[in-house]
Amino acid sequence: MLTPGSTAKTDISTKRALIVGLGGLGCPAAMALARAGIGQLHICDDDQVAESNLHRQVLYDQDDVGRDKLDAAKPHLLALGAHEVILHRSRLLPENAQDLVRGHDIVIEGADNFATKFLAADACYLEHVPLVHGAAIRFIGTALLIKSDGAPCYRCLFEDLLSGAAAPSCDSAGVMGPVVGVVGALLADLALDALRGDWSRSGQIFNFDGKSLQLRAVPLRPRPSCSLCGTATQRPIRQISRALYVAP
Amino acid sequence: MAITVRIPTPLRTLTAGQETVQVEGKSVRDVVDSLESAHPGLKERLMDEKGVRRFVNLYVGDEDIRFLDGLETELKDGEEVSIVPAIAGGR
Repeated sequence: MLTPGSTAKTDISTKRALIVGLGGLGCPAAMALARAGIGQLHICDDDQVAESNLHRQVLYDQDDVGRDKLDAAKPHLLALGAHEVILHRSRLLPENAQDLVRGHDIVIEGADNFATKFLAADACYLEHVPLVHGAAIRFIGTALLIKSDGAPCYRCLFEDLLSGAAAPSCDSAGVMGPVVGVVGALLADLALDALRGDWSRSGQIFNFDGKSLQLRAVPLRPRPSCSLCGTATQRPIRQISRALYVAP
Repeated sequence: MAITVRIPTPLRTLTAGQETVQVEGKSVRDVVDSLESAHPGLKERLMDEKGVRRFVNLYVGDEDIRFLDGLETELKDGEEVSIVPAIAGGR
């Protein structure tokens, strides 16, 4: 991995990363971190490879259909350069989130649902772990790096869970393969910033438009009334409970 | 005031595919109303009975209106309003 203005590589062989979800965003992000020589690459998922995944989940091929995603991905990631690949056969859940994220140098979440996004935000905030949020739907994607001090956070921007009908997921709306490839690479790029201590691109939500090929950064500010990182909130989130991740 | 509004991809079906539209408005509230007049159905995607929908953020330039005067944020001629919606997907 090159540092700006030099040809010297930054050694990340002592770093630990967790990727939540090895789908369309998680696959290219994991591949990029592996190629950069990440020390420990932790991946969590509980899904199997489906034929419909193959156009966008680029770690898998036809022979992997029906296999556990983690088992299919591990040898590829080791071959690409990750020093260790540690498997967590589970989704990120309220019961395990803090344990899963604890101690990592960066967490990347490319979850396809808001409950997991808010859960990752809360767990990483409580464990003081930097986090990259990613999302992609139809032709658009977003990427957001949150520092370990947690502010501004995901809840500063999107506050709380939405009802299912209010915001479509890629299940109902679809997603273009190349778009998740670009956004997944952007997630890895932001993660590599964090791993070398460069926070200059944190706290901005990057919006990628796959039709116009434009990338635009919209800055966030810490919101004093934010229920997670806010300085003036009445009832801050200080522990994770299942009720926080149930849509109203 | 002539205001440029940046329309995110999910809402462009309501603006005939346009990624930016020009409307008149002295405040963000005026702009939302102008958007509705020009592109029916857009207001409902941005607002509910309580105000701006929770999963939508409106920006004037680089400033979230929640840090300004909300919907009553006054606008200058030529300013740009952006709509930033929450999305989840990517598996």
